Amino acid sequence: MAEAVANRTGRARYAGKIEGLARSAAEHLAQGEPDWLAARRLHAWKVFEATPMPTSQLEEWRYTELGERLHLDQLRLPSAEALPDDPASWPEMLRRTMSLDPEASGHLVLVDGWVVHTDINPSLAARGVVLTSLRAAVDEHPELLKEHLATQAVPPEEGKLQALNAALWTDGVFLYVPKGVRLDAPVRVTRWISEAGAAFFTRTLIVAEQTSQVSYVDEVLSEDLSEETLSSTSVEVIARDGAQVQYVAVQWLGRGAFYQSAQRTLAGRDSTLDTLNVSLGASTTRVDLNARLLGPGANSNMLGLYFGDGDQHFDHNTSQDHLAPSARSDLLYKGALDGQSRSVFRGIIRVAKSAQQTDAYQTNRNMILSEGARADSLPKLEIEADDVKCSHGATVGHLDEESLFYLMSRGISRSQAERLVVLGFLGEVLMRLPLGGVADKVTRAVAGKLRTGPHA
Amino acid sequence: MPKNELIEGLDLDQYKYDFRSVDKPVFRTEPGLTEDVVRAISAHKNEPQWMLEFRLKSYRTYLSKPMPTWGSDLTDLENVLDKIYFYVRPQDKMKNNWEDVPDSIKNTFEKLGIPEAEQKILAGVGAQYESEMVYHSLKKEWDDKGVIFDSIEDGLKNHPELFKKYFATVVPAADNKFAAMNSAVWSGGSFVYVPKGVHLDTPLQAYFRVNQERMGQFERTLIIIDEGAQAHYIEGCTAPVYSTESFHSGVIEIVVARDARFRYTTIQNWSNNMYNLVTQRAVVNENATMEWLDGNLGSKTTMKYPSCYLVGEGAHGSILSIAYAGDGQHQDTGGKVVHAAPNTTSSIISKSISKGTGRASYRGLCKVYEGATSARSNVECDALLINETARSDTYPYIEIEEQSANVGHEATVSKIGEEQLFYLMSRGMSQEEAMALIVRGFIEPIAKQLPLEYAVELNRLIEMEMEGSVG
Repeated sequence: MAEAVANRTGRARYAGKIEGLARSAAEHLAQGEPDWLAARRLHAWKVFEATPMPTSQLEEWRYTELGERLHLDQLRLPSAEALPDDPASWPEMLRRTMSLDPEASGHLVLVDGWVVHTDINPSLAARGVVLTSLRAAVDEHPELLKEHLATQAVPPEEGKLQALNAALWTDGVFLYVPKGVRLDAPVRVTRWISEAGAAFFTRTLIVAEQTSQVSYVDEVLSEDLSEETLSSTSVEVIARDGAQVQYVAVQWLGRGAFYQSAQRTLAGRDSTLDTLNVSLGASTTRVDLNARLLGPGANSNMLGLYFGDGDQHFDHNTSQDHLAPSARSDLLYKGALDGQSRSVFRGIIRVAKSAQQTDAYQTNRNMILSEGARADSLPKLEIEADDVKCSHGATVGHLDEESLFYLMSRGISRSQAERLVVLGFLGEVLMRLPLGGVADKVTRAVAGKLRTGPHA
Repeated sequence: MPKNELIEGLDLDQYKYDFRSVDKPVFRTEPGLTEDVVRAISAHKNEPQWMLEFRLKSYRTYLSKPMPTWGSDLTDLENVLDKIYFYVRPQDKMKNNWEDVPDSIKNTFEKLGIPEAEQKILAGVGAQYESEMVYHSLKKEWDDKGVIFDSIEDGLKNHPELFKKYFATVVPAADNKFAAMNSAVWSGGSFVYVPKGVHLDTPLQAYFRVNQERMGQFERTLIIIDEGAQAHYIEGCTAPVYSTESFHSGVIEIVVARDARFRYTTIQNWSNNMYNLVTQRAVVNENATMEWLDGNLGSKTTMKYPSCYLVGEGAHGSILSIAYAGDGQHQDTGGKVVHAAPNTTSSIISKSISKGTGRASYRGLCKVYEGATSARSNVECDALLINETARSDTYPYIEIEEQSANVGHEATVSKIGEEQLFYLMSRGMSQEEAMALIVRGFIEPIAKQLPLEYAVELNRLIEMEMEGSVG
């Protein structure tokens, strides 16, 4: 109830002000907010202004010329009125996507940057689990937000776009799991965007207290967008000692979208903090994922899957920071590139001097399906401790004729054989994180993309 | 291992090439790099006008390019360069007869074992002292077959057409800041031509020695291996240890014609006050093979990435790289393979060892252009860390534009296993012996490719370096 009120007032404060990405927008958003938050927004705006737009001269942006793909001066904050909390009024595609989900511990729905619906299993709510809009959390959980929102995980100083997000976020997701509480079913968040030419800034903050357990699945989708449209998210995931967290982000935005996601995970002692990023849609995808292993015994499995066609461009930039001894991280990113699509994988394992007995692995595998597609891979290691086991591997290959031949000799058509080989190649990622419904959904989406491509 | 060898090892200095001759060069430029320095070098060499113009243009290119901000830390380098002598002429004229080389220089090379090696195993020997080749000779049988093995200056003088056809085509002056610098002030280096179908069965060797303090050496080497020919070229480098920094920046250009085969071996053992920033590149034509064998043991800072540009169908490039980074050293080494033609293949194998406060970085590029159908490349990097202050990095760049390409990269980083040590020590080895044995095993795939003398030398160095590393 309180949340609905907060959201209404948030929207009321904001309604009718169609604005470009300017300081005045940050000031309007800050109006009526607690002082600490208003100050953070304005500070973030300063950082944004002081930070030059990244160019391909920077190592981190070497293969993605940001200025050619994102035109901040032509974007504006969304003007659309938020939809009511009534599924009947939501777009059919959003409803269909949600209907495919099996059971959940709770749902949260964002439409055009605003949270329009939340529900949570009452018995979990009674045990202190919080799933709410970020805007409502500002009023209801100020201490937690003050401590964690855009501070240790994704502060504005992380980069130009991170600063812009911290200045202009409209709403987002706050998930809190108290000590020892374990959720059987995942929390499901579904985002829909519809307004072409707008820039949507949202944030996600997940705090899992000691020995708690939670899985979180976040999908963002849209139809094709007639103008360049930005979907920007900052994701902060904190796993306290012994907690187990799975974070899954699935992106199937329409063409015209620029999907930017800055994610950082902070894994405490003996915690497990796994992530999966699935990138299928959008014209441009840029994911920055930094996994920090902060406590001994921390463990992160980092999975990624991308499938490109047309002129899609994917840029996944990952880092594994081992800052404590005896932690483990294992990354596997796999992608297939069809049409004229292009992928960039840049990953780094950094092992600090103090992080002895580290096990860190990193693998990136690419399959090029057509002439004109391109894959760049930069798997890096920086190791300052000596008692470590680190390895990485990267491959770029094509459809293996022998596998195709084998399948075809069993009476399968070439196009079907190609689909099977690609799905098998990408399926390795999904098998490692068998989370209710996600694997099926993604497999279906990849199969759909294969069907429409030249390999159908 | 026989006991006396170990004791002998203990007697050796940490860096056994730390001796210096007192000699007076016949000419040297003022410290630092200016246009006057460039003109003075050209004048001393009596060069044609086009070369002077090339040097001056390169000098301007050098000034216009910023210092690299990646790789090794070069923040102090500008200060160092202001104090460096860019050109030091040790004697009047290059000699073809060993007896004619001045005593102080001759003694240096004799201590390094050069004349002895020449008699035994080499087809030809060149020796560079400071800025000039002081000695160059080629066995008569190869001379008779039309092989050219000259100083680069004599190459320009005696074979102007061949020289001009290839010079600065493989590594253009504007390639990078240090290639531009070398193009402006180059002096010394070899000019090699192996005619069609000639197989040199013993190596050519060039030896580079920096003797004076605050010396900058800028050798330039141009090697052309004509169709179906085969050759092996070895370069070695040493210098005495000074408290100030010295500087070495070479450019090596290699053209391997169709069906030819060439191997270039470097044993870089500069003293650890040396900045070593080198550009080495080979253009590899149809069905030709280029092999780089790159050993980096010395220097304070090395940035060096031997490259193969595979431009002819079926060309093959291979890079074997070994780096050892001890206290205070940063070896930023690796290799590049560029596939620009169908059915080209390449392999890079890199092994590095970091010890003490040393840092070994592998930096590499594998690029496959669209149209280089069925290109295949494999890269393997293994790093060994000897103790907890050492550092290892791997920075591979993989850029693939071709659907039918097959490219793989793998790297591992590990430390010497306690179990391996325990096993060997339980057989009566000391910890140092056991460590040296493990490290030798680690680099063996590369060491076994070296000519015997070098393999022995490498093993001895490893043994010396493992001393006192326990604990």
